[in-house]
Amino acid sequence: MLIKIQIIIGTLSVILFVITFEMIRKGRLREEYSILWLFTGVATLVFSLWPQFFLSQFITRITGLYYLSAVVMIAFFFLLLIVLHFSVVISELTDRNKELAQRHALLELEFNEFQKRYPPPDAVSPSGH
Amino acid sequence: MDRLTKRRLAIVPAYNEERSVTKVVEEIKHSLPQVETLVVNDGSTDLTSEKAKASGAIVLDLPFNLGIGGAMQAGYKYAYEKGYNIAIQVDGDGQHDPKEIPKLLEALEEKQVDLAIGSRFIGDMAEYKTSAMRMLGISILSKVISFIVGQKVTDPTSGFRAANRKAIQLFASNYPQDYPEPEALIFLSKSGLKMLEVPVKMNQRYAGESSITKVRSIYYMVKILLAIFVDCFKRKSV
Repeated sequence: MLIKIQIIIGTLSVILFVITFEMIRKGRLREEYSILWLFTGVATLVFSLWPQFFLSQFITRITGLYYLSAVVMIAFFFLLLIVLHFSVVISELTDRNKELAQRHALLELEFNEFQKRYPPPDAVSPSGH
Repeated sequence: MDRLTKRRLAIVPAYNEERSVTKVVEEIKHSLPQVETLVVNDGSTDLTSEKAKASGAIVLDLPFNLGIGGAMQAGYKYAYEKGYNIAIQVDGDGQHDPKEIPKLLEALEEKQVDLAIGSRFIGDMAEYKTSAMRMLGISILSKVISFIVGQKVTDPTSGFRAANRKAIQLFASNYPQDYPEPEALIFLSKSGLKMLEVPVKMNQRYAGESSITKVRSIYYMVKILLAIFVDCFKRKSV
């Protein structure tokens, strides 16, 4: 029974790791956002390779969780960290987005005023020649 | 010369206010000819921008809707960068009577405060009509804000305000986003600036709805009290 779970979780974590790595390589995922994903992959892989050492002996004893639930718990914890990290990133981006929108509007107003005062030469006489 | 030393700007945030913006701009021009008017068009999808331009206001067109906090801050940034000494916030929905602006300006100049707030609830103007639900909300908010800033504030949600250069600078660099009116008072008091309430008369709106509807008022109260609570623990800005 244990070996089945080991194989499934091991395979899933290898797939997760490879996908994350490929996305970084192709530039679709920035390194700063991917570190937690790579950690998640490595951590679940390590737990699936040495379940006796990490879980049966140590974590199971202090938490009372069985192997599968322990692995799920660990993965869940990493997912929480990732989601929290994303919230921080989104907050930063929202703030920058606001600053950019305000700056854009101020510059556009400035530009329009400037153009009104100093019209570009070809726009001076639209009705002429 | 006086124009150079005492430049004043009325900031009018407007989101889909095509029915009232012209009237607001014209009333400001009529009652205070020396005040320039900036309409901050917060990504309106109607003719707000065109109507405001036609009525002679300076129009700042935000590329998309930022909400009242982002729009007000954009106005304060303009006031700061263009060197205005005094900025007056006037709602684009016509709730604020421009004829009352001199009372705010007088408080700024004579009482030496940094922000003058037009209040519906002091003096003989106290008969302003609003729903019982909103009255309760405003009174809870008023007690909380008064406690935090250490002075009595009767109308913390009033957006009818006048700011001097110091307050303009503060708000240009740091302005709350979600519920800007009450939170801005906390920012102000944390930065050591002074505020004063002035009795003013407010109209019923010409058009449009309050951003706070009855159904959402409880939700609004919970969120705003939470935001205020968080503000108390924020590090001092600037």
